[in-house]
Amino acid sequence: MVALRWLIQTVVALGTNAYLLFPWGSVIYQGPLKAICHPGLHCYSCPAALLSCPVGAVQNFVASLRYLTPGAIPHLGAMVVGYLGFIGTLVGRLPCGWLCPFGFIQDLLNKIPSPKFNLWAPLRWLKYGVLVVMVILMPFFLLDQYGLGQPWFCKLLCPSGTLVGAIPLIALKPQLWTTLGFYFWNKFTIMVVIIILAVLISRPFCRMLCPLGAFYSLFSRMTLVQLEFTEGNCVECRACVRVCPTGVSPYQQRDSRECIMCLKCLDACHFQALGFGLRRPVPPPKEARSHS
Amino acid sequence: MPKKAIWLIILFTALFILGINTGDLEYLMNLGNTICLSCIGVG
Repeated sequence: MVALRWLIQTVVALGTNAYLLFPWGSVIYQGPLKAICHPGLHCYSCPAALLSCPVGAVQNFVASLRYLTPGAIPHLGAMVVGYLGFIGTLVGRLPCGWLCPFGFIQDLLNKIPSPKFNLWAPLRWLKYGVLVVMVILMPFFLLDQYGLGQPWFCKLLCPSGTLVGAIPLIALKPQLWTTLGFYFWNKFTIMVVIIILAVLISRPFCRMLCPLGAFYSLFSRMTLVQLEFTEGNCVECRACVRVCPTGVSPYQQRDSRECIMCLKCLDACHFQALGFGLRRPVPPPKEARSHS
Repeated sequence: MPKKAIWLIILFTALFILGINTGDLEYLMNLGNTICLSCIGVG
């Protein structure tokens, strides 16, 4: 399973960044695939990116509601919300574990030998704040000097945008250097901090700050597929806990919002206590059954 | 299969189709075709 996940992460990262003409043609890909969102966090300004970023798209849809002209149809972003909600209901945070290029980069960084640390659990709640404040409220309410809403998550925080969007772009177009200011250096600093943290802590950005992971996690208790647990087989050896990249205890926490369904725990469990399959209805408690 | 998940899938599919019919696809296409200055950090 681990090898399969690495393979899929690699194929998706390369396959969705397959526009290799950027050094010669237009700086970013401008074909029809840009109308499709990546299921993971991936900057659409990456020169090789074929798909759009769902978080960037949602912010721009929200921001666009502020400058509607009379008679124009408002773009509520229903397509992107429907797309993300569909994925979330189907598989929850599985795209974080298997498809997200920035998650993949963090997995690779965490392979670098170094002391490893656990994340302080309350920091996990930050990502919900990022989702509500930076992706929804700020693009709608906070206007720039021209009276326009902005994608503030992209502008102030997103390290993926800096790593795969900004840095390659300014390398390809040196004239852009003159435009760099506070926003770039702020995000550059955040990116460096996240990279260092990713070496020391598993998936720090996904667990603390990612608004897409926060959105997908809202569906963790109602996804169509789930991590199954057979209590009778579990010997509480905690092998699953030791390998979990997001600090979940699969044998204690069912349907955890932090679970990215990487399925490392399935490989780690030698007692067939964990499985993966379609969600089954929860049987009523024994007492209720005996009364009926 | 869980009923809640099925209803949510129907709801989000309807939202997706609604979005396509109100021009979200073209909007997204235009958006993704321009360099996102926010990603570069202009300012």
